[in-house]
Amino acid sequence: MSEILKCEEITKKFGGLTALNKVSFNVDRGEIFGIIGPNGSGKTTLLNVITGLLKPEEGRILLDSKDITNLKPHERVKLGIARMFQGMRVFPYLPVYLNVELVARAVYGDVRLARAKTSWALTMSGLLPEAGELPTKLTPYKLRMLEFARILVSNPKVALLDEPFAGLTSGEAETMIDLVKKFNSLGITFVVVEHKLRYLMKIANRVMVLNQGVKIAEGKPEDVVRNPQVIEVYLGVS
Amino acid sequence: MVFVKRSARDLIISKTPFLAVLAALALLPLLGVGGYWLDVLTRVNLFLLVTLAIDLYSGTTYYLNLGISFTFGFAGYALALLNVYYSIPTEYSLLLAIPISVFFSLVILLPSLKIRGVYFAILSLLVPIVYIGIVTAQPFSLYLGGEGGLRFKQLFLDFARSLPSDVRLVFLQYSYYYISLAAAVIGYLVAYKIGFSEFGFMLRAIGQDEELAEGTGINTLKVKIIGYLISSSYVSIAGALYASMRPPVTVDLVVPANTLIPPLTSAIVGGLGTVVGPTIANYLLLLTYELMWGFIGRWRVIVYMLLLITIIVIRPQGLIFKIYLDLKKRLRGVLRE
Repeated sequence: MSEILKCEEITKKFGGLTALNKVSFNVDRGEIFGIIGPNGSGKTTLLNVITGLLKPEEGRILLDSKDITNLKPHERVKLGIARMFQGMRVFPYLPVYLNVELVARAVYGDVRLARAKTSWALTMSGLLPEAGELPTKLTPYKLRMLEFARILVSNPKVALLDEPFAGLTSGEAETMIDLVKKFNSLGITFVVVEHKLRYLMKIANRVMVLNQGVKIAEGKPEDVVRNPQVIEVYLGVS
Repeated sequence: MVFVKRSARDLIISKTPFLAVLAALALLPLLGVGGYWLDVLTRVNLFLLVTLAIDLYSGTTYYLNLGISFTFGFAGYALALLNVYYSIPTEYSLLLAIPISVFFSLVILLPSLKIRGVYFAILSLLVPIVYIGIVTAQPFSLYLGGEGGLRFKQLFLDFARSLPSDVRLVFLQYSYYYISLAAAVIGYLVAYKIGFSEFGFMLRAIGQDEELAEGTGINTLKVKIIGYLISSSYVSIAGALYASMRPPVTVDLVVPANTLIPPLTSAIVGGLGTVVGPTIANYLLLLTYELMWGFIGRWRVIVYMLLLITIIVIRPQGLIFKIYLDLKKRLRGVLRE
């Protein structure tokens, strides 16, 4: 399979703290790539670097062989990177449909196309009945679906999900898994950062493990969880 | 989906208050209101543009631009300088002063648009303070008139002089009033259109979560600059018109207490980002302040400020817009019955 996303030797520092230290990995087209690691290991920082919200001190990011390292976040969205943020981030005082439509307008420009895509994304995520509501009235699950609709509407090449199962019941998490699998089969590549390994193991083709900003393992999920270094990081024993 | 077409009846109900107020304001001079009160209303009309400028930009993005009094005063100074040093008639200086003021306010405040939160507010407040220092210090004061200000011919003065002496003052007052009213009405309609357009919603998205807005595809810097340009245009038009009607221009135009605090208070008490609320508050608060003079004289400053502080503490998200919505709901109910 060809690479859709390639990160080369990414280094990100905050003052004296090195949050990411020469992290390299490739994501293949059509795969679901998992990133795990304990708190403070640099997972969210890595997503921030990929989306352009943080600029790395060193390294390159390639999307579909195009160097996007110096592009602004909104330019990356147009090129096909979409993001679900940690902690259910939406525009709380804009109606549900506008939360999605603003993304569509930014990506497509054309009003009619943006509205058609918005309707489709809201239908796919089961939010059409709540389209006119404010997100403050939505349940945590519906908020996640709103974030998912925001991803779908831009028809991305790569969707970055930051802890998509956080705050969901096991039933809701299973629905989210089904959605990720469904849209993965339709061509969207996913990069999923997650604490809950049991969910990640169900969907990820490959997993990378970060610890204190350093990549310590990468491979198939079943191999990674047996890696002694990974076990030590997670359980404190080897 | 959500784009519901309103019935003709709903449309009439929703537009009735606006049209009624507009008709009343347009008829006031014909009903005998003149002199001091027409002068006050002219000022209030022009201050509406400043209130709307604050509401459109700061009320949506929460970037509190305290440099507005600089833009307001600079437009006045640009007009006066063009008139005094280049002998350009006030009517043309007025038109030229607006883009000049917008340009300078953008150049001066553009670097601070990258700064977020309270730091932007502090930085923007420094601009008028520095400008006041420049105007009143030599050698600049020699050219800018110092504390005495710059004298120039007020708007339409040459034409007024060609009229019989008994109608000169009335002509000037009426023409200023109707110009200010036209500016206020157009300003309101445009602000309403922008505030609830896709661009307006982008500004609101920035105010609610700028990082999320950027991360979901909105070019936040571009949106902020355009928003700032629109806001500056409103303030520049207000400043240039205000100055053209009341020579000389002095540093009083740049003092935040004169040209920032009243519209800022209207925007907050009205309900930031609602357009309608700040508009009503602009007329209500500024006219109340003038009316209080007749009842309590100099005590009005203390009473008025205490009143405003109480309102803002009790309901920081704005009071007037909420009252407006409640009244509208009742009116709709009464008309349905």
